[in-house]
Amino acid sequence: MDTLAIQHTLGELRPALVRIARLQLRNDTWAEDVVSESLLAALESAGSFAQKSQVKTWVIGILKHKIIDQFRRAGREVSTDAQAELDDTDDLDDLYDAQGHKASAPADWGDPHASLERTEFFDILQTCVDRLPAGLGRIFMMREWLEYETDQICKELSISTTNCFVMLHRARMRLRECLEMNWFAAEKSR
Amino acid sequence: MKASGVIWIRCRHAHKLLSTRMDKPLATTDRIRLWMHLSICEFCSHVNRQMNFMRAAVRRIAK
Repeated sequence: MDTLAIQHTLGELRPALVRIARLQLRNDTWAEDVVSESLLAALESAGSFAQKSQVKTWVIGILKHKIIDQFRRAGREVSTDAQAELDDTDDLDDLYDAQGHKASAPADWGDPHASLERTEFFDILQTCVDRLPAGLGRIFMMREWLEYETDQICKELSISTTNCFVMLHRARMRLRECLEMNWFAAEKSR
Repeated sequence: MKASGVIWIRCRHAHKLLSTRMDKPLATTDRIRLWMHLSICEFCSHVNRQMNFMRAAVRRIAK
């Protein structure tokens, strides 16, 4: 691909990259910075791409590394947010009754994989992740999108393994509720 | 009632184990507890599938 074609492709990719970087970093300035750095890096190696899809895969790979670098640079700020999340008393109490049953029974999502073919689903998914408190959103995305192992996450965020599991559990249950309410329940009534 | 030694767990506990299982292998007793709970609880079986689905979905963001 020539430089002009690459520039065009990168321009198209930019909004999606900024959105995912924001979800992961929870800081608009950091997100803009890591995306710009990643796009510049891609532009510099323009000659080595044959297809559009290669550019995308490559840029996302770079972006993931830049995000991790940003976490390291931000260090204390990020682990303070994680700690604040743990000090919060959210024990998912609102989701359960006194007998430990879900207050609203978890629905059957049918064949949820069909949703993966719909762009609207990813819009809802990202909105739901965005609604998680910053500390939870970051750790959840580190685990599920950056695909970090939990002990790596604990180390990066300077929190204990137990706390890591607590936060991931909260994040998953909150996300589950949000998806059920805003996508799967809504889908049934469509 | 203390949790240790109890074989029948509640949904709330099952959800915690379902999440933990996404991050590390469960201890044998927990595995048995969860398995027994899932065998009788349709709702937690939904949640079980949803945990795996959420992982697959997040990995496809921006792909």
